[in-house]
Amino acid sequence: MISEFDKSKIKGLILNDIARKGGKYVANWRVYKPVIDHEKCVACGLCISYCPEQAIEPGDDGKPVIDYRFCKGCGVCANECPQKAIEMVKEETQ
Amino acid sequence: MTQDFDVMPGNKAVAHGVRLARVEVVPVFPITPQTTIIEYISDFVANGELDAEYVHTEGEHSCMAVTLGASMAGARTFTATCSQGLAYMHEVVAQATNYRAPIVMAIANRTLGWYWSLGPDYSDIMPEMNLGWLVGFVESNQECLDQILMNYKIAEDYRVLLPTMMSLDGFYLSYSQERVYLPEQEAVDEWLPPYKAPYPVDPTESKAWPSASLPSQLHTTYRRLHEEVMEDAKKVIAEVDRSYMENFGRSYGGMVERYRCDDADSLMVTMGSMTTAARRAVDKLRGQGEKIGLLKLRFMRPFPNEEIIDVAEQVDSIGVVDRVVCHGTGGGMAFMDVKSALYNTDVRVPVKNYVTGLGGEDIPIDDLYMMGKKIIDNKGKKLTKEVEFVEHPLPSGAQPVDIQSEHCVHPGSDGCAGCGASIIIRTLLDTLGPNTIVVDPPNCSGVNYAGVVKVPWVLANFASAPAYETGIYRALRKKGKADKVYVTSYSGDGGTVDIGLQSLSGAAERGESIIWLCYDNEAYMNTGIQRSGSTPLFAATSSTPVGSVWKGKPQRRKNMLMIMAAHRIPYIATASLAYIPDLKRKIKKAAEVTRNGEGLAYLHVHQPCPTGWYFDPAKTVEVGRLAVQTGAFPLVEVDHGEFKISVKPKELKPVKEYLEPQRRFRHITEEQLEILQTYTNGDWEALLKMEKEGRLPWY
Repeated sequence: MISEFDKSKIKGLILNDIARKGGKYVANWRVYKPVIDHEKCVACGLCISYCPEQAIEPGDDGKPVIDYRFCKGCGVCANECPQKAIEMVKEETQ
Repeated sequence: MTQDFDVMPGNKAVAHGVRLARVEVVPVFPITPQTTIIEYISDFVANGELDAEYVHTEGEHSCMAVTLGASMAGARTFTATCSQGLAYMHEVVAQATNYRAPIVMAIANRTLGWYWSLGPDYSDIMPEMNLGWLVGFVESNQECLDQILMNYKIAEDYRVLLPTMMSLDGFYLSYSQERVYLPEQEAVDEWLPPYKAPYPVDPTESKAWPSASLPSQLHTTYRRLHEEVMEDAKKVIAEVDRSYMENFGRSYGGMVERYRCDDADSLMVTMGSMTTAARRAVDKLRGQGEKIGLLKLRFMRPFPNEEIIDVAEQVDSIGVVDRVVCHGTGGGMAFMDVKSALYNTDVRVPVKNYVTGLGGEDIPIDDLYMMGKKIIDNKGKKLTKEVEFVEHPLPSGAQPVDIQSEHCVHPGSDGCAGCGASIIIRTLLDTLGPNTIVVDPPNCSGVNYAGVVKVPWVLANFASAPAYETGIYRALRKKGKADKVYVTSYSGDGGTVDIGLQSLSGAAERGESIIWLCYDNEAYMNTGIQRSGSTPLFAATSSTPVGSVWKGKPQRRKNMLMIMAAHRIPYIATASLAYIPDLKRKIKKAAEVTRNGEGLAYLHVHQPCPTGWYFDPAKTVEVGRLAVQTGAFPLVEVDHGEFKISVKPKELKPVKEYLEPQRRFRHITEEQLEILQTYTNGDWEALLKMEKEGRLPWY
């Protein structure tokens, strides 16, 4: 009876697999790059919760750190920062 | 007969055909890759170049029904769709036949799910093939325009009086640019006079109209008569082709087109856009001295039996190239028809089938050349294998980035820079946790975020996501897990307020304990920003463009809050991505209500869309905040009938401040602005009044 539930017998089935999911590097989308001035930052966390790409995480001191591999350069973080601690700097052309 | 030309995509050529035919009623619903047809037509109507009733329907089922109603009432009608949309229409498509409605419909082919793809194959049109419509396939953008005009002439001929479907391959024709000659309007007017319905549903004109029912004893007779009409249509198709040649200088051969067939001893059979590549393959083989010909099937219904037999008599081998497979038969659609056309004849020739190009994969000249060589090899042979699937391996692509994080969503999605929907999906899933199932009617988030979430994400059909959710929820409840797993939608506004509303209403009324989250970006963003029932008044979208006649969407949006409140569901809230703590609290409340099995929890979350509303992506949150602070999108909740305003600014900012950053409102006049301000004030006062009363009286 066990053989009836032998998954290898299923032909032509395509699976969604959570383990195989993940993002891609999107750094090359960027025209402007957000740069955080940690002196001005008060670790309010707004940039973290508003970053559409979830590319910002709190660092060891609670202040935000940007993972530039995933930053598309939209500028939401700089626009929302109440301290004006994030500056959008034009990317160097390659 | 000199004609102007322009370089344009196939979809625009179709739209020009519709304009030149002076179509009177155009019901529409967007679906890729058809959508730009209806957008081009909306441009014509918005600018006064086509005087037509343009109907923004809430789904394809209605779209075809409006088309049919209008045709029955005596108007010249046009609509376009494909794939899932055509399948959703199916029932009404069948109905159009016996109402003898000469509808002209364009199908910008796209694969029918399962195995979703935006690319073309004929799996969408195949199920519609035998419903009594005339079904044709075109090869070029010029043919798109010409065939639309010819189809009106054929369909409205009283010897035919049947609806027609014209299939143009998505992407290969719909979006590819080619030179297209445009006939003069006067010449078209003379050749194609206005449609005169013989028996319109119009008591001022006719006391009789086509009947939908018939005693069962007569069905066989009338089906036979329908087959006779189909046979007559073949003559009409040939006549119209000749007449089009005389009037406009172009001819396509009617039912089929023969290419280098005169002395051919082997034959390739194709249809649609692949034919262009097949011509080059045949040329190449001809250059090598092979006598191979090409037959392009221009109409599949009625099927060109006589033409097939005629060519088959002179050749020793036939190969049919199919862009579809009829599962369970082993092969493709044209293959079966070609084979059966020959069976009761004296022609004995091997017929081989090549199934290729499924899911929209390109059918390159090299492949067709190889098929051609095999067809030549088969001359006079007895085939051991009838069908060959021409397959290609997947080229290796980038692997997902491996990163550790506690969030339920991975970074690095395909979403637009500044996308608000990603903020909402992350808040939703991080609040509900990993034991959540997301049901997703097609939308831009499905395209962009399905691949980066760490929970099951089930793609539903557009009109029935609440029913998918119901099924999943009921199965879990039966297994005693209803309080352990959350079932939520991640639906756009189209899937909620338009095409999904019937299913949502059913689930709400039945008291299914599921979450319905609508991220409202106020238009069909996935198909390219067409208006929805949630698009605000005066907003410009790609189906409500601003022109000399049109000034943005003329209707106010649906009040979904009250529609859901009318169902007396336990929890309803509006929320915004600009107010994350409020959004989180509301998601938690929805989770609690559904976990307790109290019924459906409805969350309507405002999602500014930089791409669709045309503002700087940095302002996604700012625009969201302004919507709340100006009263354009108030945040409220209805908790078991208790009405509360969640965010109450002391004084509302002028609505102008919210509209200003958005280019979709750039055109509005002082007068329009005043109307918007008056409505916003009125809505806000009504909410204040409701809050004062506290409980909604019908709960």
